[in-house]
Amino acid sequence: MSLWLVLHITCVLLSYAAFLVAFGSGALFLLQERQLKHKQMGLLFHRLPALGTLDRINVLAIGWGFALLSLGIAVGAAVGHAVTGRWWNVDLKIYGALLLWAVYLALWLLRVRATLRGRTVAVLSVLGFGLALIIWLGVNHALLLGPLTL
Amino acid sequence: MADIVLVGINYRTAPIELRERLAFRAEHLAPAYAELQGAGLPEALILSTCNRVELYAGTPAPEAATRRMMTFLQLRGGFSGAEGQESFYAYREPRAVQHLFQVVSGLDSMVLGEAEILHQVKQAYEWAKEHGATGKVLNGLFQKALNAGKAVRTQTAIGRGGMSVGTVAIELAQKIFGDLRPYTVLLLGAGKIGEVTLKRLMARGASQVRIANRSADRAAAVARRHGARAVPWEHLEQQLIEADIVLASCSVEQPLVTGEQLHRLMSQRRQRPLCLIDLGVPRNIEPSAGRADNVYLFDIDDLQELVAHHHGQRQQAAGDAQTILDHKVRCFLAWHRQQERRAACAPSASELVGAR
Repeated sequence: MSLWLVLHITCVLLSYAAFLVAFGSGALFLLQERQLKHKQMGLLFHRLPALGTLDRINVLAIGWGFALLSLGIAVGAAVGHAVTGRWWNVDLKIYGALLLWAVYLALWLLRVRATLRGRTVAVLSVLGFGLALIIWLGVNHALLLGPLTL
Repeated sequence: MADIVLVGINYRTAPIELRERLAFRAEHLAPAYAELQGAGLPEALILSTCNRVELYAGTPAPEAATRRMMTFLQLRGGFSGAEGQESFYAYREPRAVQHLFQVVSGLDSMVLGEAEILHQVKQAYEWAKEHGATGKVLNGLFQKALNAGKAVRTQTAIGRGGMSVGTVAIELAQKIFGDLRPYTVLLLGAGKIGEVTLKRLMARGASQVRIANRSADRAAAVARRHGARAVPWEHLEQQLIEADIVLASCSVEQPLVTGEQLHRLMSQRRQRPLCLIDLGVPRNIEPSAGRADNVYLFDIDDLQELVAHHHGQRQQAAGDAQTILDHKVRCFLAWHRQQERRAACAPSASELVGAR
């Protein structure tokens, strides 16, 4: 049982790490894009990677983050079922995780289907990580206050 | 005591007509080094680039060596009497060392801070080594000079930013796409400036090149020269959908590409990034096209401003570079003197044999 719990935690943590990479590459993309649109070739321009490279890192990170989060949620549900006998536990943490999962699914699909590209995806991956942080901190804060059931 | 001496000519002291008579190609080096060794210069190095021909030597008799080096170069260039004499410069230590360190760093180049010289000096040093023409003095000198050149490039902005419209355009395209190989380049117009920029792009890896021109014959001729594909002028919109980098240099009265048209084409391109380099005057592409998402538009003024900006930056960096070089030269000279003192104190082989 503890092995499944470790797998659940590892997957979720790694998915957050991947979303952090997507955030970083998205933020750097926005900086480099600004240099190019404003026709500036300063230190930032030379130091930052090409937009294409940052975009590829961003797509990969979102894809991996989403896959790991999916696996983490699935394993978490199985662990919950084994402990409580129910597949669905009404818990703020689960709502937060599902919201994050849906947001990154949408972002990944939009990018892979090339409906969105470049700047918009970079902005959304920065905002997505903001949401991930809010959920992470918010849930932990709520847990400190005591279990919250809706 | 071995001293370092230098004799040479460069773009400041001699026109190309003189420099080309002295230039050494790779196949000239073996006989040249044999001749120098025959002339009593066992440690000598030839540096021959399009901007300079210089001869460095490590010798215990600097004055005689300088005369021999001068004669060697004059004979090689076929100079008679006093011809070209005022074009040569001859330096001794420490000036010769300072000069080499400046050359390696691109401070003495026609295009301030250019990177090619570092490779050229490295290559010249390797060739000299292959021909057995370097010893302790020149090995130490050139290894330290190459290190100094690298330090200057990494620690200052001396080599940063393109110095021509073409190189700036390529840097911009590379910062959008990274590796240019998988991307399609479309050249609009078969004029000289477009062709020169295209050549540079191809040198940086761009291989899928299409050329559209009002006169199809001319497009075909340019395409043949560059192994590119000529495409019909009438299919301009389709080409704009497929291309990633567009180089426009047509002579036009009305823009070829409008902002509204490009906004429409971007959705057909599925928002793939597009780099537009407009080298034409009047402009070939409406400035409003550059406002679309994922479109990066640069006109000739943008590129020229960036060149001027880089030029200013390099001038400023030259001061920092000189400070680094002064320190590196002092370190080298201290090291060189120490080596010389050690050599003077150490007993020679014959003394060792005698002592036995």
